[in-house]
Amino acid sequence: MTNRNLKEEVTLTPNGFLFDHTTGLTYTLNYTSVFIFKKIVEQVEANKIIKELVQMFDIDEIKARQDFEEFFEIAKTYGIL
Amino acid sequence: MNLNIAITGLNATDNPAPGIPVARCLREANWKGKIIGLAYDAFDTGIYDKEILDEVYLIPYPNEGEIAILDRLKQISHKTKIDIFIPTLDSELFNANRIANELKNFGIHTFLPSEEQIKMRSKSLLSEFCMKHNIPVPKTQIVNDIRQLQNAVAQLKLPIVVKGVFYEAYVCHSLEEAIIYFGKINIKWGLPIIVQEFLNGEEYDVACVGDGFGNLVGKVPMRKLRLTDKGKAWAGITIYDKVLDQISEHIISALKWRGPCELEFLKEQKSGKYVLIEINPRFPSWIYLSAGVNVNLPFANVKLAVGEKIKKMSSAKAGFTFVRHAIDLVCPMNYIESLTIKGELIFKK
Repeated sequence: MTNRNLKEEVTLTPNGFLFDHTTGLTYTLNYTSVFIFKKIVEQVEANKIIKELVQMFDIDEIKARQDFEEFFEIAKTYGIL
Repeated sequence: MNLNIAITGLNATDNPAPGIPVARCLREANWKGKIIGLAYDAFDTGIYDKEILDEVYLIPYPNEGEIAILDRLKQISHKTKIDIFIPTLDSELFNANRIANELKNFGIHTFLPSEEQIKMRSKSLLSEFCMKHNIPVPKTQIVNDIRQLQNAVAQLKLPIVVKGVFYEAYVCHSLEEAIIYFGKINIKWGLPIIVQEFLNGEEYDVACVGDGFGNLVGKVPMRKLRLTDKGKAWAGITIYDKVLDQISEHIISALKWRGPCELEFLKEQKSGKYVLIEINPRFPSWIYLSAGVNVNLPFANVKLAVGEKIKKMSSAKAGFTFVRHAIDLVCPMNYIESLTIKGELIFKK
């Protein structure tokens, strides 16, 4: 999903505070974004993340996919992924 | 270390000099020798901080020439031994270089870039140096009159950045604006004036110490978070980016830089590439951050000055922030009296 070495280049605190080591920029992630971002760092596949979102947040797959794609696009735009 | 260090650049107003942060770095290294402040004026702000400095002496301004500063340093040395002299202002470096050998004979060590290195990184020659060594740099023109300025504006396209050869830079959106700043900078800093293409992006700085053989001994990369109205860093955060590291290593290697410097980069928004804007031939005023992240560059510079061989320092940890903050120092009348009448102020014997 990304060419970046997220384990080394990014720090995410349990509170959702994200620091990008390479740019010095910081971001605030909501609970769902933290969940998705952690899974991406663990290199979990997109479809599996979506299934886990369904279980974790008790939502349907369409909504889970929307949330995942929205986060992914925003994170790409900001250069986090 | 039990050495006495004399440091200049102690005025810390809205454009703070690096002297006090350099002294603070040495204090962090549990300094056992004296830290001696060399000031130009009785109201240089940092000289009243007795927690940082042991003694303070007034010295002649750089425009009085190298002999004046040499004589004064010798005079001070008769009162209190100086082992190492650290000039921290650009304007002091040529004088310091010219007297470095004589100071060494007198037992005072320095660790500075050579006159040639300082000239090579000067704003008027930096572009040429970068082109030669394949270092990305903004398109630059050196101008000496209004006609050349008009040509530069036509070639570089607006907006442009008009810079003084020593200090000051202004973004200009019209030729008229560029002419105004050309005149303003010329009066203050003289010719030539540097005209550069304007690049949009974030500013990143790297504080470095080179060993003079092409090796980068230690570095602290930082992204500016807040700027003063003069464009000086007021808050910043350490970062780690391999690309920035590699460019920094390349620059220090190409220059065979000796001593401290600050590399100023712009990460261009459009391309995401780092472009070298300036090389300052001295520690930056935010150098205390280096002690805060255990890459104490002033301490490394002192070790190099006394001939110690030091290993390459580890990378600074990313995510450490500095925020500059002003405090008031209160001092009795006799401090100012001592500096004004005797040209010295002794806090600790």
